[in-house]
Amino acid sequence: MELTYSDVQNILKIIDEAPSLEEIDLVYGGFRLHVVRNGAGGSKPLTITQARETLADRATPAAAIAPPRAGTAAAVAVPDGMVAIRAPMLGTFYRAPAPGEKPFVEEGQRVCADDTVCLIEVMKLFNSIRAGVDGEVVKIIAENGGLVEFDQPLILIAPGAQGRS
Amino acid sequence: MPTPALKRVLIANRGEIAVRVIRACQALGLETVAAVSQADRDSLPARMATRAVCIGPAPARDSYLRPELLVAAARGTGCDAVHPGYGFLSERAGFASLCARAGITFIGPSPEAIETMGDKLAAVELAAAAGVPRVPGSGRVGGLADAQVFVLRHGLPVLIKASAGGGGRGMRIVQREADLARALEAAAAEAQAAFGDPSLYLERFIERARHVEIQVLGDSHGNVVHLGERDCSTQRRHQKLIEEAPSPAVGPGLRDELAAAAIRLAQRVRYQGAGTVEFIVDDDTGRWYFLEMNTRIQVEHPVTEMITGRDIVVEQLRIAAGAPLSFAQGDVKPSGHAIECRINAEDPARNFQPSPGTLHAWTPPRMTGVRVDTHCHAGYVVPPFYDSLLAKVIVHAATRPLAIDAMRAALEAFVIGGVPTTVPFHRDVLCHDDFRSGRVTTRWVEEKFLASASSGQPHPLAPSEVGARP
Repeated sequence: MELTYSDVQNILKIIDEAPSLEEIDLVYGGFRLHVVRNGAGGSKPLTITQARETLADRATPAAAIAPPRAGTAAAVAVPDGMVAIRAPMLGTFYRAPAPGEKPFVEEGQRVCADDTVCLIEVMKLFNSIRAGVDGEVVKIIAENGGLVEFDQPLILIAPGAQGRS
Repeated sequence: MPTPALKRVLIANRGEIAVRVIRACQALGLETVAAVSQADRDSLPARMATRAVCIGPAPARDSYLRPELLVAAARGTGCDAVHPGYGFLSERAGFASLCARAGITFIGPSPEAIETMGDKLAAVELAAAAGVPRVPGSGRVGGLADAQVFVLRHGLPVLIKASAGGGGRGMRIVQREADLARALEAAAAEAQAAFGDPSLYLERFIERARHVEIQVLGDSHGNVVHLGERDCSTQRRHQKLIEEAPSPAVGPGLRDELAAAAIRLAQRVRYQGAGTVEFIVDDDTGRWYFLEMNTRIQVEHPVTEMITGRDIVVEQLRIAAGAPLSFAQGDVKPSGHAIECRINAEDPARNFQPSPGTLHAWTPPRMTGVRVDTHCHAGYVVPPFYDSLLAKVIVHAATRPLAIDAMRAALEAFVIGGVPTTVPFHRDVLCHDDFRSGRVTTRWVEEKFLASASSGQPHPLAPSEVGARP
């Protein structure tokens, strides 16, 4: 069973209203919610990271990725032999777990299917996006901090299972 | 008080109403962002808007019905307002408050007004408090015993309605007391499934009812005006098919009474924006009752625009920007008669079955006094995911008979190929004596017009008949 968007919003509301609570790590089935409140002031905005560590996700890594399709209005053409990691939802694209931190991946880096490559935020909920395929990051197309549309190519990967170079 | 001057508007809808809202924004020099599903990426509103943003997959529950995606799209594209159109999220108080919390102007009334009017039982109670009569009815029905008491007092037939209801779902007509228990059970189950709330109430059933509604506009300065009535009695299964203004059944006295009641009700909830107060007029007694208030733009708003010369969507945008109404009640001077026919991708010869497909031909009529609101074009693929409205044909003429003739001519000139539509239905209704003489009530289409098929006469919409026409 999955938590819905409004379930998560309700949990966040409870945490937000708690007088003395700085951090919470909630595991519900295969769902993990990790909330850290910035600073001491309760009125400061919440920083939320959310990781989905479900067995189902591991079993179907292709969920985050769609094969390139001809004829869509997606701005970027996906070159032959490459795979695009596409946005599974509309939201704000982030390359790093938090401002000032190291990006999840750089161009030229090798990734495994399970590696988180970016975050997409929808109204304070951060969704970790996995590579979905082993290979090399060829190009990061989406702009950090910008809006990405549903199904928009984010990152180009040259698939290949050989060891890290 | 700071006025939220608007610059860029997110269109949280699709189809003809998205096109309509974009046009109104263009008229005011506002930028637009069309929030579209994957199925609507190449649609007319996506191409007309300053920018289009794909918010999700084709099914509405994954795109047009997702408040958080629409607000994220609005924020991400720098929009300062959201226009919800009709249907989808237009009457969800939660969406309006989510917009407010994100600092985005929701183009419509306050979440509180939406919430009050959305609960049909709360709305009729509010109406009663404002001195607006409701159809004799019960409060929330606790069980069979409550319902039996109501029947004992008011007699049969009765109408069972869902408190959270709309669109005819959860509704049952009970003619015999023996059927009461089963009908309550079925209605509660349907209401639970459709709205997540099984609460029911009862109303005396009015057999020959006219659907008459008053268009109101309220601004943030406390002004409320009305733009007269529309008659939407030509409906099938509670779905309106033809609307007109003024109503052939409403004279000056009744018009003043309905308008005054609508304004009282709107003032009671400090209504801001465009809204419609719906009434039932009993054709046998001439008495009228409050039905419900729709807190959004209506599909049929153009008939009112045609006879008043006012642009209701432009007023919505101005009101949302904090401006006062651009006219006063005394400036509203309706003239002539307007009729709207809804052209749906439905096959009237097959029980109005939805008929998605490709429009091989599409040439709307171009005539004086004829307006066509549509998102369709030749080659457009009507997707199977959404409602079936393709276009609204609206005519304006000096008198009702002239308007009927103008509509017949407009439909005759409308070339549509590829999918069956409701055009043949409209053509036959417009020729019918009952319609021409203004005698249509809300059950006329089903009980008289369509029922003629089973009476031994040739069905007016039988496929052979349609095929035989020149």
